Amino acid sequence: MAKLLALAVKDLRVLMASKGNLFWVFGFPLLFALLFGAVYAGAGKGPSGMKLAVVDEDKSEFSQLYVTHLESEEALKVTRLDREQALTQVRKGQIAAAVVIRPGFGDGFSGFSDANNPKLQIASDPGQKMQGAYLEGLLAKAQFEVMAKRFRDRKWMRGQMDTWRGQIKRAGGLPGADANVYLRFFDSLDNFLTDVNDRTYKGGLGNGILNVAKLDVQREYDGPRTPFQITFPQAILWAILGCVATFAISIVRERTTGTFQRLRVGPISQVDILAGKGLACFLTCAMVIVLLVMVGKLVFKVPIGSPAMFLLGAVCTCLCFVGLMMLVSTLGKTEQSVVGAGWAVLMVLAMFGGAMMPLAFMPPWMRDISHVSPIK
Amino acid sequence: MATITVESLCKRFGDVVAVDGVGFEIGRGEMFGLLGPNGAGKTTTIGILCGLVRPDSGTVCLDGKSDPMRPDVRASLGVVPQSLALYDELTAQENLEFFGRINGLAGRRLRDRVAACLDLAGLMQRRKDRVATFSGGMKRRLNLVCSLLHEPAILLLDEPTVGVDPQSRNLIFDTIEKLRSDGRTILYTTHYMEEAERLCDRVAILDHGKMLVLDTVANLIAKHGGASHIEIGLDEAPQDPAGLTAKLGAGELGIEGNMIRFQTMEPAQALATLNQCGVRYKTLKVDTANLEDVFLNLTGRRLRD
Repeated sequence: MAKLLALAVKDLRVLMASKGNLFWVFGFPLLFALLFGAVYAGAGKGPSGMKLAVVDEDKSEFSQLYVTHLESEEALKVTRLDREQALTQVRKGQIAAAVVIRPGFGDGFSGFSDANNPKLQIASDPGQKMQGAYLEGLLAKAQFEVMAKRFRDRKWMRGQMDTWRGQIKRAGGLPGADANVYLRFFDSLDNFLTDVNDRTYKGGLGNGILNVAKLDVQREYDGPRTPFQITFPQAILWAILGCVATFAISIVRERTTGTFQRLRVGPISQVDILAGKGLACFLTCAMVIVLLVMVGKLVFKVPIGSPAMFLLGAVCTCLCFVGLMMLVSTLGKTEQSVVGAGWAVLMVLAMFGGAMMPLAFMPPWMRDISHVSPIK
Repeated sequence: MATITVESLCKRFGDVVAVDGVGFEIGRGEMFGLLGPNGAGKTTTIGILCGLVRPDSGTVCLDGKSDPMRPDVRASLGVVPQSLALYDELTAQENLEFFGRINGLAGRRLRDRVAACLDLAGLMQRRKDRVATFSGGMKRRLNLVCSLLHEPAILLLDEPTVGVDPQSRNLIFDTIEKLRSDGRTILYTTHYMEEAERLCDRVAILDHGKMLVLDTVANLIAKHGGASHIEIGLDEAPQDPAGLTAKLGAGELGIEGNMIRFQTMEPAQALATLNQCGVRYKTLKVDTANLEDVFLNLTGRRLRD
């Protein structure tokens, strides 16, 4: 056991003697966790500031009001362009989407309800369906809020009554009894709009038809509460992969520099030599895990669940990757070949294990293969 | 009693016969040289002796124990590999401490032995420096003493002076001579005949995996070295060359102006005869036979061909 420990301590000393090794095994994973945690934290507030071009071909009072309302929306960064410029920028990916307001948009309710000739057109990347749907929601919200302002304008509303009564009389498509019902309804509404005072009318409508109060409810959620909850485990994984590569190379280096041969002629078996190397790799992996977990837990409140289960998982992970390190060290006879072959193997395992792309985004056959990756 | 016994050792790598029936015995405290050109089978023989290479046939017995593939058999062995085998990232002291622990040392004994070995290698002042900063000679010296930490009874030195400056080479020779005087059994491989002549009690010459001869250096030179070459510069040309030739007993006397050149198996006797004849000479050069000549005479090739 003393010889085994001597081998492990020697390997740790060799590791610590190189600032480059120290950085890649300890520093880089920590930076990885901090940097990407911070980036994801900033990106987690939704698609704020979506770049949107607005093409106002209607140029009515209502369309101007609508565009102004869109410009005041925090989730959008609105630029007014002509149709050609807007579509070109969408094609080039310079903006997320373009909205074209067609002539007739401001012509009362008919501007919204004409299904055969929509007055709003959206151009966006068909691959970004979520983003497109999000934009449609924002546009509809703005449309209703602008309409609410119109409803408060009694003069405009009475003008609409006149328009609709004229359309019913001219159209002649409705049965006589139904037409009379509509006409009586619009007459009553017109009388109401004439007689009601401003305070009662506007108070009855409220401030807007889409006002939504936010309730202060803490959501029950089992998933990550903070991006660091994702980036720290990822960083641990990358650190362990770094350890695997470093120690696999060190085994080959022992062979090429002759120290392995020197050890083999000593009173120690080959199994002991490899076990010592494995112990050093195990301890380094454990140190990396402890470092990252301490920082994650103490600074970023990353939960670790059951400490006993975490410890068991960490030990199993370290043992598994020690075995992988031994395997990688046999993939070549020179440091260069082991570096190349080692990272190729580790990258493929990382890819299939979900370290690069979340498993949820993988096709089913890749998810099936991912079961054989120790990285999963 | 022999400390190292090697019998009928054979090792083949594919079609290449590296060692072919090599056998010898080395007594306790003896310094034994394996001499031969590159590829003669020296390193393979050492590899078999220290358990790195399994022989196809033949036996090896070290200090009464057979099968050096077993770690316990190698405990009495100190091996100085041909190539430097050190950790450049560690200091000289850390290297020694590590190899000491691997050889079972600990505590005060480890500290004492590390200090002794640093002293022996002349590296006490540089013990805290990383090996990467050392010169080639310093690394060679450290490479040597790393094998002496556990004071092994048997030392296998595989060309320990390759690429070493003269100063470090002399220090290594001094160290080896001290080890021999301490009673260690040493097997020394080299293709430098001067080293073998200076250090070894007996020498075996290998070529193409076969052992050509085995004897003391003096006996090998006497039996296989051939005549010594003598070149004398005289005050004046000899008056009676034929008479001189007859008295010296030399086969052929080369006279060129004031210079006489001849070969003889008895150089000391020839010089005494010249003095008796009253020959006065200004310069004298005697090239006695050496192991290079032995090898040349045995194989028709030079050691470094």
